[in-house]
Amino acid sequence: MDSADPSLARARARRAYEWGRLRRAALGALPLLPLVAFSAFLSSRPLPTWCFGLLAFGLGTALLWVGREPQRAVLPGLAAGAVPLVLALCANQVHLCGPDGCSTLCMPACIAGGLAAGAGIAVLGFRRRAGVAWWGGATALTLLTGAMGCSCVGYSGLVGLLCGFAVGVVPLAVKRAVTPAGPAA
Amino acid sequence: MEPSSPDSLEALMARLADGDRSAFDAVFGRLQPPLYAFCLRMLGNEADAADAAQEALQKVLERASDYDASRRVMPWALALAGWECRTLSRRRQRRREVDEAEAGERPGEDPEGTHVQRQLVEAALGALGTLSEQDRETLTATFWDEAASVAGATFRKRRERALQRLRQTFWRIHGLG
Repeated sequence: MDSADPSLARARARRAYEWGRLRRAALGALPLLPLVAFSAFLSSRPLPTWCFGLLAFGLGTALLWVGREPQRAVLPGLAAGAVPLVLALCANQVHLCGPDGCSTLCMPACIAGGLAAGAGIAVLGFRRRAGVAWWGGATALTLLTGAMGCSCVGYSGLVGLLCGFAVGVVPLAVKRAVTPAGPAA
Repeated sequence: MEPSSPDSLEALMARLADGDRSAFDAVFGRLQPPLYAFCLRMLGNEADAADAAQEALQKVLERASDYDASRRVMPWALALAGWECRTLSRRRQRRREVDEAEAGERPGEDPEGTHVQRQLVEAALGALGTLSEQDRETLTATFWDEAASVAGATFRKRRERALQRLRQTFWRIHGLG
C-alpha cells in the first residue's frame, strides 16, 4: 500500500469519508421507499408516482450526503410534501358524480396541499433564517413528495401543486420583504 | 486542549459529522501522526505502521458521520488502530508461517527473538483491550503521550490502578498468577 505518500493517503481517507457519508445518507433516505411503494399502490397512475418517488429518494440522499444546511432541509421538506401527498391520495379515492359525469377531488386537494406545504416551509424557513441551500432543498423535496400524489390528474395536478405552494410561500416572503429586519438572533 | 474548545479534535470531528468538509484537513492532520506513532510502537516496522495507521484513519473517517459528540475521539481512534495493528500482525504472521513452511529455515537470522517480542506486544495489547475505557485512555496517555482528560495526582492514581489491573489481567490470561 502507498500509505507513505501523504497526498495519496489524504485522498484515500477523503474517499473513505465521502463513501461513509453516502452510505449513511442512503440509509437515512431509505424509509422513503416504502412510502413511495405505498403511494404507488394507492395511486391511479403508479408510474409517475414511482418516478417522482425515486427522484425524491435520490434528492433526499444527496441532501443528506452534502450535509450542513441542505441536510437540515430533508425532514421539513418531506413533512411538508406529505400534506399534498396524503390529501391527493385520499381525494383520489373520492369521486363526485353529477349529471355531467364524474370528477375527482384530486385537483383541489393538490392546490390546498401545496398551499399548506408552502406556508409551512415559509414559516419554518423564515423562522430559522435559512439560506438558499435550505430553501432550494426543502422546496424541491416538498414538490417531489407532493407530486407523487398529485400526478393522479396528470400535469394539471402538478401545476396545481406548484401554484398552491407558490401562493403559500409568497405572503410570508412579501411580509418579510416589507418588514425591517430585526437584530440577528 | 479541552474537548469543548472549538479547535479540539472533538469539535472538529463534530463539524465533519455535520458535513463541514473544511474540517477534514485539520482532523486528518491531528489524527494521522499519533496513529502512526502508535502503530509504529506496536508493529516496530515503518511500512506496516503506515499501512495500519492508514487503515485505521480510513475507518475513523468512514464512520465520521456517525460520530457521537459525547465521546472522545483519540481513544476511539487508537482502539481502531490497535485492532488494525493486531489484524495486520496476524496476517503477517500467517504469511511468515506459510513462507517458512515453504522455504524451510533460513540460516543467519534470529526470527525467534522478533517473534517472541511481537507475541509479547500482542499479548499486552490483548490484555489492554479487556480493560475499561477509562483505564485504556489512561494507559494510552501514559505510553503514547496523548492528552488525558485529567492531570496531576488524579492522573497518577488512575495510571497506577490501570497498570495494576493490566498486570493482573495479563497474568490471569496467560496463567502467570
